[in-house]
Amino acid sequence: MALAEEQHLENPLLAGLPLSRRPEPCALVIFGASGDLTKRKLFPALYSLAYRQLLPEKFAIVGVARTAETDDEFRERMKAAVQEFGRDDFRDDVWQGLADGMQYIGGDGNEDPVFDRVAETLTELDRERGTAGNRAYYLAVPPDAFETIVEGVGKRRSAEGWTRLIVEKPFGHDLASALELNDLVHRYFEESEIYRIDHYLGKETVQNMLALRFANGIFEPIWNRQFIDHIQITVAESIGIEGRASYYEKAGAIRDIFQNHLLQLVALTAMEPPIDFTSDSVRNEKVKVLKSMHTPGPKNVVRGQYGRGYVDGEEVPGYREEPGVDPNSMTETFVAGKLYVDNWRWADTPYYVRAGKRLARRETTIAIEFKRAPHPPFEELAAEGLRPNVLLINIQPDEGVSLAIGAKVPGQGLQIRTVHMDFLYGGAFRTDMPEAYERLVLDCMRGDSTLFTREDEVTEQWQLVDAIVATWRRDRPSFPNYAGGTWGPPSSDELLHRDGRTWRRH
Amino acid sequence: MTHIAWVPEEWVEAAEDVLAGLAERHPSRTIVLFPQSGTGGLEGEVSVESFTGGENRPVCTDTIRIRLHGTSAEHPGSVVEPLLIPDLPVFLRWRGVPGFGDSAFEELVDVVDRLIIDSTEWPDLPKPYADLATVFDRVAVSDIAWARTSRWRPMLASLWPSIANVSRIKVTGTLAQAHLLAGWLSSRLERSIELEHEHSDRLVGVELDGEPAPFPPGDSPLPADLLSDELDKLSRDPVYEAAVVAAVT
Repeated sequence: MALAEEQHLENPLLAGLPLSRRPEPCALVIFGASGDLTKRKLFPALYSLAYRQLLPEKFAIVGVARTAETDDEFRERMKAAVQEFGRDDFRDDVWQGLADGMQYIGGDGNEDPVFDRVAETLTELDRERGTAGNRAYYLAVPPDAFETIVEGVGKRRSAEGWTRLIVEKPFGHDLASALELNDLVHRYFEESEIYRIDHYLGKETVQNMLALRFANGIFEPIWNRQFIDHIQITVAESIGIEGRASYYEKAGAIRDIFQNHLLQLVALTAMEPPIDFTSDSVRNEKVKVLKSMHTPGPKNVVRGQYGRGYVDGEEVPGYREEPGVDPNSMTETFVAGKLYVDNWRWADTPYYVRAGKRLARRETTIAIEFKRAPHPPFEELAAEGLRPNVLLINIQPDEGVSLAIGAKVPGQGLQIRTVHMDFLYGGAFRTDMPEAYERLVLDCMRGDSTLFTREDEVTEQWQLVDAIVATWRRDRPSFPNYAGGTWGPPSSDELLHRDGRTWRRH
Repeated sequence: MTHIAWVPEEWVEAAEDVLAGLAERHPSRTIVLFPQSGTGGLEGEVSVESFTGGENRPVCTDTIRIRLHGTSAEHPGSVVEPLLIPDLPVFLRWRGVPGFGDSAFEELVDVVDRLIIDSTEWPDLPKPYADLATVFDRVAVSDIAWARTSRWRPMLASLWPSIANVSRIKVTGTLAQAHLLAGWLSSRLERSIELEHEHSDRLVGVELDGEPAPFPPGDSPLPADLLSDELDKLSRDPVYEAAVVAAVT
C-alpha cells in the first residue's frame, strides 16, 4: 500500500480529502538538455505542472548536455521554449519558482568528470533545496548514449531516497539489443526503477479507452469475436521525417511507430479487464495480449515508402530526396499489417493496423467494426446504405468517441443511412487536456509506473518486429511506392480487399 | 448537464456575475428562475451562446431565464421538468436560505440530483443547518462555504497527530466557515470542540488552542471556480454532512 493511503487510514482528518497528487521532494536530471525533446515537450510540461502546483514543493532540475552553457543561458533558453511551446499563459512568478531550482552542467557525456559533477551538484541540491536524495534521471538522448549514462549514473547512486530512470524510445533496435539494454540497466537499477516512456500511453484519449471499456456495462459484453468483425488501428502522420534522417533511416516506420505505439494500442484494445488499476495488474494483462499475438506471415505485412506528392496543396519531396537520406534508401515510411490475437476472446478476428508518414492527414484512430445486422428486413434497395456499426475512438486530433448507426432517412418509404453519435472531449469537458508528458513525468515522480512499458512488454514487442523484419530481408519492393499525401501503397488496400474488407473511409 | 438557479430578487446581481464565468467551463443548459410577486403566469427568455473552445471547436450553452409569478413561483417543479436535458445530472443552485418545507423548495429538491447552497449567505447560523441536515437523505448537497475551507482542511490535517488533542478552535472568517470547520474537527475527532469566531469576509486565520495554524499555500479560488468545481461532483459528501450535523449539536 502506498504511504499516502496508509496515512489516510490513520488520520481521521484526511477522510474525504483528495489524495495529494504532489510528489515527494526530488531532483530531476535531464540528459540531453539541449535537445528538441527537452525544448518542445519536457520544459513546457514541467512549466504546466508548476502552473498547477503539481510539482514537489522542494524540487530542482539539472540539465546536462554537451553544449557549453551557463546556468543563466540554460534558464533563458528554456524560458523561451516554454513561451513558444507551453499551453498555459506565461507567468513570471511561476517560471521564477521553476528557474530558481535550475542548474546546467555542460560536457561530454562519455566522461567520468561530468557524472562526478552531476553527483556533486545533486548532493548540494539535497542540502540547499531539500531534495532528500530522491532523483529522477530523464534520458532524452539518442540510444547510443544510453550505455555510458546508465553506467555513469548507476555507479553514483545516492545512498538515500529513491532513484528512477526515465528512458525514451526506442528501447533497443531489435530483440537482442533490447535484451542487452535491459541487462545493462538491471546491473544498476531494479525493474521497478525503470520507466520506459511510450508517450501514447500518457494521452488522455488512450486512457479513456480503459474508461470506455471498463466503466461502461454496454461495451464489454460485445467486445469479442462474436460481435466484432474486425478492428482497424491507424497512426497516420502528414509530416515527413522533419530532419531526423539519421534516426529514421535506421528505424523506419516499424521501429518508430509500430513496435511501440501501435502495438500498445492493440494491447489496450484487446486486453482482458485488469483486476484493479495498479501498475502490474494493467501491465500483466497487456503483456498477455502481446504474448498471444502470432507472427503474421510475409503476405500479411506490407510496407511502403513515400515519393513526391502534395500535402495541404503544397508539393513535398520524396523520402529519398529528404536531406540526409540515402538516395537508394530501402527504409520503410509506411507499414500495414494484419495481426491476430490468439485467445478465446479474439480468435480469427483480424486487427488491421497501419502507420506511416506523409499520409493524407494526421490521424490516430481505433475503429471497432461490428458484424452486420444478421437479417435486415428491408427491401434490397433500402438496405444499400446500411453499413456495419463502427465504434470509432479518435486518439488525435478531435479527441472523442463516435458510434456509427443506421437511421431511417425521413420521408416516404424506408431508406437507411449511416449517422453518427458523437462524444467530443472539447464539447463535454471544458478542462484543457494535459499533454502526455505532463502526466508521465508526474507519474514517475509519484512512483506510478502503470503508464510505462515493462521489460516483458518490450521483449514481446521486439519479438514480433524481429519476425516481420526477417521476412523483409527476402524481398526488395520497388520504393517509392506511394505518393506523399495519399493513404499509402496499393498493397495496403489489397491487404484488406483480399478479406473482402476495406480501410475505413475518411 | 442542467443547472437550475433559484434567484430571489435580492440575489439577482450576484447570480448573474457567477453565471457569466460559468458558461465557458461547463457546456450546459442553465435555467434561472426568478420568483416574483404578481398574480400569475410566466415570462421567459432564451439565449444561446456559442464560443470557440480548445482547438477551435465550437461549444454551445443555452440559458433560459424565467420570471415566475403567483402559483408558478410556488410550483416551479412543473416549469422546469420539461426543460431538463434527459439523462444528464441536474444541479440546483439555491441563493439565500432555502425555504425548507415550502412547496417551491420541496418540488425542486425532488427533481434535482444535487443542491448547491452557500451557507455564507444565511443569517442566524448555525440554526438553519439543522433544517439542511433533514434533506441529506433526499439530495446530495454542496456548500460553497465548505468549498472555501478546502485549502485549509488539508493543511489542518497535516498537523496530525498533534491536532488530535486540540480543544478550542478560533476561526477568523465568515460565520459559516467557522461553524463548518469546528463541526468538521469535532465530527472527525469524535468529540466536542469549543469555537471562537472573529468576523472577516474571507477565511484568513485559524488558531488551535491559541496557537495560529500555518497559512495554507495557494490562492483563494474565484466564486465561478468554486461553483464550477461543485458541478464536477456527483455523489454525497459524508464528511461535509457530518460537519453540518456536528455544527448544530
